[in-house]
Amino acid sequence: MNNSNQIILSSVLYWFSQKKWFVFSILIGIILLNLTTPVGLSIAAYHSLIILIMTFILVMTEPIPFPAIALLALVLQVILGVVSTEELSSTLMNDAVIFVMGSLMFAIAIIHQGLDIRLAEIILKIFGKSKRMLIAGLMLISSILSSFLGEHTVIALMLPIGLSMIKNLDTSNNDSKNAILLVLFSIAYGTIIGSIGTPSGGARNVIMINYLQEFSDIRIDYWNWIEHAYPILFVQLIVAYIVLQFAFPSTLKNIKLSGYKRDIKKRSIQENMSNLFALVIVLLVILSWFLLNEKFGLGIIAVSGALIFMLFGMINWETINKNTNWGVILLFASTISLGIQINETGASGWLVEKFNFLLAEFFAGSENMSWTFMAIISGITANFFTSSATVSLLGPMAIQLQPNDITFALSSAIASSFSFLTVISSPAAMIIYSTGLVNTKVFFRVGIMMFLSSILILYFMSKFYWIYL
Amino acid sequence: MKILIAIGGIDFSKPTLNMGMEIASAFEASSTIAYVGKKISQFSEKDVSVVHQSLDNRQLYRPGIRTLEWACNFLETKGYIDSNSSANFDDHLLIDEDNSRMKVLLKSKNSDNIDLILRTGEIIDQLRDEVFSNGHDITVVGGGKNKGIYHDLIEFIHSSILVVKNFSFNKKYKILLPINNTKGSKKATEMAIRLAQHYKTEIHIVYVKDKKEKDVVKSIETTSNQLSKLKIKNETFFLEGDPVKSITKFAKDDYIISLGVSNKNPIKNFFFGSKPISISKQCNCPVLLVK
Repeated sequence: MNNSNQIILSSVLYWFSQKKWFVFSILIGIILLNLTTPVGLSIAAYHSLIILIMTFILVMTEPIPFPAIALLALVLQVILGVVSTEELSSTLMNDAVIFVMGSLMFAIAIIHQGLDIRLAEIILKIFGKSKRMLIAGLMLISSILSSFLGEHTVIALMLPIGLSMIKNLDTSNNDSKNAILLVLFSIAYGTIIGSIGTPSGGARNVIMINYLQEFSDIRIDYWNWIEHAYPILFVQLIVAYIVLQFAFPSTLKNIKLSGYKRDIKKRSIQENMSNLFALVIVLLVILSWFLLNEKFGLGIIAVSGALIFMLFGMINWETINKNTNWGVILLFASTISLGIQINETGASGWLVEKFNFLLAEFFAGSENMSWTFMAIISGITANFFTSSATVSLLGPMAIQLQPNDITFALSSAIASSFSFLTVISSPAAMIIYSTGLVNTKVFFRVGIMMFLSSILILYFMSKFYWIYL
Repeated sequence: MKILIAIGGIDFSKPTLNMGMEIASAFEASSTIAYVGKKISQFSEKDVSVVHQSLDNRQLYRPGIRTLEWACNFLETKGYIDSNSSANFDDHLLIDEDNSRMKVLLKSKNSDNIDLILRTGEIIDQLRDEVFSNGHDITVVGGGKNKGIYHDLIEFIHSSILVVKNFSFNKKYKILLPINNTKGSKKATEMAIRLAQHYKTEIHIVYVKDKKEKDVVKSIETTSNQLSKLKIKNETFFLEGDPVKSITKFAKDDYIISLGVSNKNPIKNFFFGSKPISISKQCNCPVLLVK
């Protein structure tokens, strides 16, 4: 075989090996399109479910860039007659998408201010008396901050603090290795758990609030959400602390924050003033989420935060542009739009009907079983598909299961945040994995305990606490 | 000539780096030492990038930097890099060249022939891109437990591949040159000669009898004469049976194998495998697959 033919064939084979899941999803789409439409489903609804399946496969396996997946889902919605171009345009941009965009830009602006030094100072002052306290402090602070500012902001601020504590620890020694894992997992779990606390803790929360407004009569504001979610957050934190102490027993003898002590001393007056001003902006944004979210929406407030940082020259557009994941924003816009079509075409109603029918067959239609399945499906899907994408596609179905009650919708959004099983499920998990100090097996081994206990906590809270609200 | 040396964890990269640099020295080649970090999900890639920038600012360093620091110190002790005695690896600059590639510039340690590179992503994808963009002639990789990777390395990376398996620093290796009537064999012979000259060792030519091949004896004689002219001690062995098993059994862990890879249909190789892929999977010594 001559050289050029071999290179061409090798390139084709390489393309196929890299894009096999893309080819698979297209084949699945073509096969499903050629089957008879299931009874009770309109053609548009059936086609919306086909696009949903293809999107699931593509997002989970990532054979093509996210913007390409987003555009493919949009193009298919129009070509397959799920929605007209005009209607598609109207569902593409809403408060949830603006929130995703605003919170990503706001996060970059905050991280750019070097507030981790200030945070390290606070953690040392409050929790510096003992090393166990320090670990608990890392988890608690990560969690509280993440509940307002989201995972990606907080993990970026807290990881340097955590890594500075474990710098120069010998990884060949079991005690040190456990100390490293304890610090990293405390930050990651604190951040993940915290993200359920308020609507602004994660895009999934905002997406669910938007769906509730769109598909039901239920309204939930910032305060209501906190009332429902914060107690769960505290119980989860206590469980996580205990689980991690058992999973990674360590004397913590080499843990210290000495690097930051030096940095704290080196701060100039100008830096202190800049930090103070940044803090004021952050507090103003959080306050606005509490007080003005009904009037302006969470998204506009997040965008305003990023805007203020830009207007005062505390960050430039180039930095924001370079570090914002525009592909994710486009993907969420597309999946939220698809989620709306799945509901509008009646596909989610049909799926819920089938789901209830199966439950009635096997569990006599028990509401508890229905809740359990819904929570576990949401949680597991989120571990392979990320929480926000899960809620954007499964959210309408969770609402349809109990359209007049907040329990199912809220439980689905909260269960989607239980990203304890895989490292791809959340920014916090992926970032501690990217340090090279945590492997996927350890993450899953500890995560399975957290996942199951979190589902139990959510169940008991929704059954015995939410009814009093 | 350009050589790409892919390193991973410090614990198991020492033989790869050592042998890679010896080969670079034998071929008077410039070398690129690349650390390929874990693949990041598209959902988190920007978040991870921002966090890594923060880590650099706090001198905590992104994953891979410490491995490159170890590699740099290793090269310094071996004399491949000149250094100022007061120099510190902390005085480095990271040049973001996009496409998941970063170049590490050391302010006070230098060698015109050695580049340190940090890459992130799927290993085959990154090595393929590195070879494609920079025209490396040989890619040196460690022989890990993941046997599935051998096909992709050989098929998709358009350079010769040196798989460093079970390499011992102090052992005196001979060169094993399996031969047949292909172009690949001729190139493998050229590489074997340079290796033998560098290691000051002998070459053992092996041929596994195959009824389909004619005039192989002539090729073997020509090769043997060529080696003798260059004053390289050589010997020829005729083996029988399955080529993969015979060569693997013959080589044990005593040789560095220089093996030509012929231009076979990649689709066939994908479904039915090929002898070079099988030999590199099964043998217990370093194998240079020459393209």
